[in-house]
Amino acid sequence: MNTVLDILDVSVGYSRHSPLFEHINAQLVSGTVTGLLGPNGIGKSSLLRTIAGLLPPLKGSIKSGMGGEKGHSCAFVPSQPLRAAHYSVRDTVSTGRYRYTNWLGIEDREGKQIVENALERTGIKHLADRNSASLSDGEFHRVAIARALVQDTSLILLDEPTAFLDIANKRAIGLLLRRLALEENKGILFSTHDLSLAMEHCDFFWIMTPEQELHQGTPSLMEEKGIINRLYY
Amino acid sequence: MMKRLWLPLLLLLLMAADLFLGSVSLNAADVWAALWGNESSDIVYKIVWNFRFPKMVTALLAGMSLSVCGVQMQTLFRNPLADPYILGISSGAGLGVAFFVMGSSLFSIGRHSIPWLFDLGTAAFAWMGALAVMLLVLAASGRLKSNMSLLILGIMTGSAASALIGLIQYFSEAPALKSYMLWTMGSFGNVTGNRLVIMTFLCLAGLLISVYNIKDLNVLLMGEQYAQSLGLSFSKVRNRIFVATTLLAGSVTAFCGPIGFIGIAVPHISRMIFHNANHRVLIPAAALTGACMMILADIISQLPGTQSVLPVNTVAALMGIPVIIYVIFKNRADDL
Repeated sequence: MNTVLDILDVSVGYSRHSPLFEHINAQLVSGTVTGLLGPNGIGKSSLLRTIAGLLPPLKGSIKSGMGGEKGHSCAFVPSQPLRAAHYSVRDTVSTGRYRYTNWLGIEDREGKQIVENALERTGIKHLADRNSASLSDGEFHRVAIARALVQDTSLILLDEPTAFLDIANKRAIGLLLRRLALEENKGILFSTHDLSLAMEHCDFFWIMTPEQELHQGTPSLMEEKGIINRLYY
Repeated sequence: MMKRLWLPLLLLLLMAADLFLGSVSLNAADVWAALWGNESSDIVYKIVWNFRFPKMVTALLAGMSLSVCGVQMQTLFRNPLADPYILGISSGAGLGVAFFVMGSSLFSIGRHSIPWLFDLGTAAFAWMGALAVMLLVLAASGRLKSNMSLLILGIMTGSAASALIGLIQYFSEAPALKSYMLWTMGSFGNVTGNRLVIMTFLCLAGLLISVYNIKDLNVLLMGEQYAQSLGLSFSKVRNRIFVATTLLAGSVTAFCGPIGFIGIAVPHISRMIFHNANHRVLIPAAALTGACMMILADIISQLPGTQSVLPVNTVAALMGIPVIIYVIFKNRADDL
């Protein structure tokens, strides 16, 4: 297992004067699924966006990935990925190859194979030629995950990937993330409010508490320490 | 194969029709002879090569440019009702023309006294007005990160330019007002010789930049946040789209006047025809569809067989508006 994310004394938020969460120190290794938990507004999405490079850290440094090809170290799946009408699932997934395609966005043979593999692995091969706008939320979340997979990064970040999904789809996404971590040796970090889903599919928890503490450990350790009880009950 | 070829074939057919039809009825054989440099009367030769051919090329360029611009604006702002003029280019060009028309009347450079200077000045000032508005928006884009804020700024800039135009009109004499009104109605007939060469060069430059934007537009279609997470430099791409828009819409407006509705309607028509929003398909499809629509508008505006000519802007609007209404009624607000 390799370290795919190293966070050193990072503060996140939108203003230096009022950071949302401070002094974050954490590591994440490949082949594992980590659940990011905490109450609303604590800074989970901001932390994910900061790791993804969409927000600058207010303080500290972040090293992500394993020096991936073309300098791209992590893939990010937003909580409500936007979809375009008249855009096929295959083309939507292909946009994830942005860094690897030519100036017109056209794939080489290897790239096309990577897209086909991602469609296969996320179980949406049969939807490849469908219009993205016609998919259900559960199906489109799989498309968003396939799109992250083709970016060929060692770390995948997902912001509430199971929000708005029914129980069956939540479980299916959880199992998919688990399988991708194990089979593709990815480090996966996702934020969620669904404790039972996180308990079932995560190897580790990062729990952000209102006391500005980031608790880390296995779900059973967090339970033993009473942190989950303090947060949810 | 026919599925891919029918639109280029339709375009060729319309281009030919635009050369053969017009307010002056000409014998088809004479037009054919004039086109191939065979023996034909001097009048037919002049009508075909000095009037109809440049007008057809202008309509072709205008249709392609406005449609390609519309696609880029709709994708950038993720707004199905965005058009090439949404950032105030048309109003900026209008303000430039209003200044020129008002100023030229003071120096006795009228449409009738020195027509070539008047036409060239109108185009130059329209272009400068469009460029000034776009430079303002570009300067602001460095400070305004949100697309929505930029959109509001563009609309406000356009409104301010329109207000200034109203003020200039209020103090203008009747001939200057008439000249301005004629410009707003749009025309492909005044773009000949060097003006056509300049317009062709500017539009081709804008179209080339637009082709270069295809890869980024495909990613932007999935949202700004996703695009940035892939490493796309949003501000760079946005500025490149603005430069293409200025070259395309600015040039068309400068040389032909403001031609509305084609820029909104054609991207939707192209999506409906091809069922594909991938810009590798959509950009060429919109260019061809836009050229077809604009040439058709030009043919209709000539009212073949009659001595009257309708303003091309009115014809384009009457063709484009039903499509926009259709889009609204089909509730395709997310139809990007």
